[in-house]
Amino acid sequence: MVSGNGTPLEVFTSVCDDFYATARAVAASGRKVAGYFCSYAPQELLHAAGYFPVRALGRPGGTPRADQLLQAYACSLARSSFDAALSGEFDFMDLVVFSHTCDTMQNLADLWRSSRPNQRVIIVSAPSVTAGAAAHAYYRKVLGDVREQIEALSGPISDDAIRASIELYARHRDLIQRLYTLRREHSERLSGQDLLAVVTSSVMMPKEDHLALLEPFVVELEAAADPAPKRLPRVFVAGSVCQNMGFITALEEAGCMVVDDDLCMGSRSFSLPDAPAGDPVDALVEMYLGRRPCPAFHTAGFDPGAFLVERARAARAAGVVFLLTKFCDPWFFDYPHVNKTLEAAGIPGLLVEVEQNLPVPEQFRTRAEAFVEMLKAKAD
Amino acid sequence: MGGPYFAGVDVGSATAKAVLVDAAGKLCVHVVVPSGGNLTLAADKVLAAALAQADAVTGDIAALIATGYGRESVAGRTRSVTEITCHAKGAHALYPDARSVIDIGGQDSKAISLDPTGMIRKFEMNDKCAAGTGRFLEVMARTLEVPLDEVGPRALTADRPAKISSTCTVFAESEVISLLAQGETVERILAGLCLAISQRVNSLATRTGMAPRVIMTGGVAKNTGVVRAIEKAIGFPLTVPEEPQIMGALGAALLARADAAK
Repeated sequence: MVSGNGTPLEVFTSVCDDFYATARAVAASGRKVAGYFCSYAPQELLHAAGYFPVRALGRPGGTPRADQLLQAYACSLARSSFDAALSGEFDFMDLVVFSHTCDTMQNLADLWRSSRPNQRVIIVSAPSVTAGAAAHAYYRKVLGDVREQIEALSGPISDDAIRASIELYARHRDLIQRLYTLRREHSERLSGQDLLAVVTSSVMMPKEDHLALLEPFVVELEAAADPAPKRLPRVFVAGSVCQNMGFITALEEAGCMVVDDDLCMGSRSFSLPDAPAGDPVDALVEMYLGRRPCPAFHTAGFDPGAFLVERARAARAAGVVFLLTKFCDPWFFDYPHVNKTLEAAGIPGLLVEVEQNLPVPEQFRTRAEAFVEMLKAKAD
Repeated sequence: MGGPYFAGVDVGSATAKAVLVDAAGKLCVHVVVPSGGNLTLAADKVLAAALAQADAVTGDIAALIATGYGRESVAGRTRSVTEITCHAKGAHALYPDARSVIDIGGQDSKAISLDPTGMIRKFEMNDKCAAGTGRFLEVMARTLEVPLDEVGPRALTADRPAKISSTCTVFAESEVISLLAQGETVERILAGLCLAISQRVNSLATRTGMAPRVIMTGGVAKNTGVVRAIEKAIGFPLTVPEEPQIMGALGAALLARADAAK
């Protein structure tokens, strides 16, 4: 089922205009829907069990119901999604999958259980230290347990079905990665906001449908000629979830090109390595623990500062804009080190704390414009 | 008087400023008027006043750069530039050894770090509300029934500052009322308000990394109480230009001139 008509990009953009319209239509057609909060949720397992995994990203507007139950320091992703749940807007989800990424998410899972008793809640606790045999053994057990919990709801999941889902997701991931390469190397062919629309719509549409649109879209772009270069400053964006595409739009309106990102609703979620052969759950363990670790996790030997410098340089970015969701503790713990490393490498950074589901504040535009002016002056 | 002139118009939340410089970059006239509710009108008014002072007409303006939060409301602009770039440019033009700029205007505050050539290395801006800015001082002065220009001098006469825990305008106002009710002197409360602003600015300044010479711009730089408190907080003396309010408009005018030279 492909939602809407028009070119692939028009469909991707229209899906982003109303996040859950597609998921509601899928649910109405009889397919079970699993909401998930974190890119560490093993979507392949859910998919293999017949679920349509859709990402919970909150929605625009106020949060009066959630405000009564959550502390002031819960982030806008948790607050807005919980408000949507309390108002019944997420009732189309049969199952909700949480990851233990931070205290807010851990506690939200419990709150969700008590306030939405008809929705099943599964918590996936990836090891916070992701390297080493113990971490792998532990996560193998976690994913085995998650498989059993899903099977209890939907019936047995065959290894072949999991392998097929891993294969489907890998094909999709490969296309997204090709799109990121295009954006870096042929930056005029696709804007940063369009790329983010592709990525965001990919977690809101059934993978098969998204893939069917994405494949010709990527092939066509790869074959397209380069438009005249715009000679605008190239900017790399790093941060938390960032489902509010208005921030990327505002940045590009300020006169720069967002050429690459390290966002959770961006390249980070597509950084999984290829699946090794053998047991499919073992393969998922290797893939999820082998990905670029999110700031909520720690991998020995992985330096997020050095990583960002390398990525920014590879993208030939003149500066890095941090869009950090307010109260996103894991990111704010990493930020001082990451920024110091960036400064030492001579790459200017701009930190902006964002509320995900409110309109882009005017002040953000001033900061973005001033940052672009600074980068231009440096380049002249 | 003959042109051509290069104009900078800075439409802020509290006041609109216009500066005209000549082809040599010399500051010819400057005007400050209240912004009022209509920013386009304020921009027109301040530019007309500057032209009248220079005995010039619109046609004498070779280029005009608009800045400030109302920059998109300025008619006849060649382009818009943010106030961050303009304040840096204005301050560096007057003081070539400037390495840092602190600007506190009507509704925002900024700390800017410059390299030796005057280019911006880094900047920080306060969050979306007007805590600890000119508006904050205006509201507090009104609550205390002290004319705005007496706030600084009277704050400096206090033997110690009263403790004000918030720069949120709404919370601080109720705190000030409680302090008055407890019999705290107006001078100590004023000193406490200046201290609260300085602490907030210091957190911006620390993040950008302050180095002397530090220039303070914006309307709040006219408040000696705040200036002294910031000097104590950041550990460096502040240089306050004769007309701190017009630094953004001056920077804009100089950028307009630089554009034309390209």
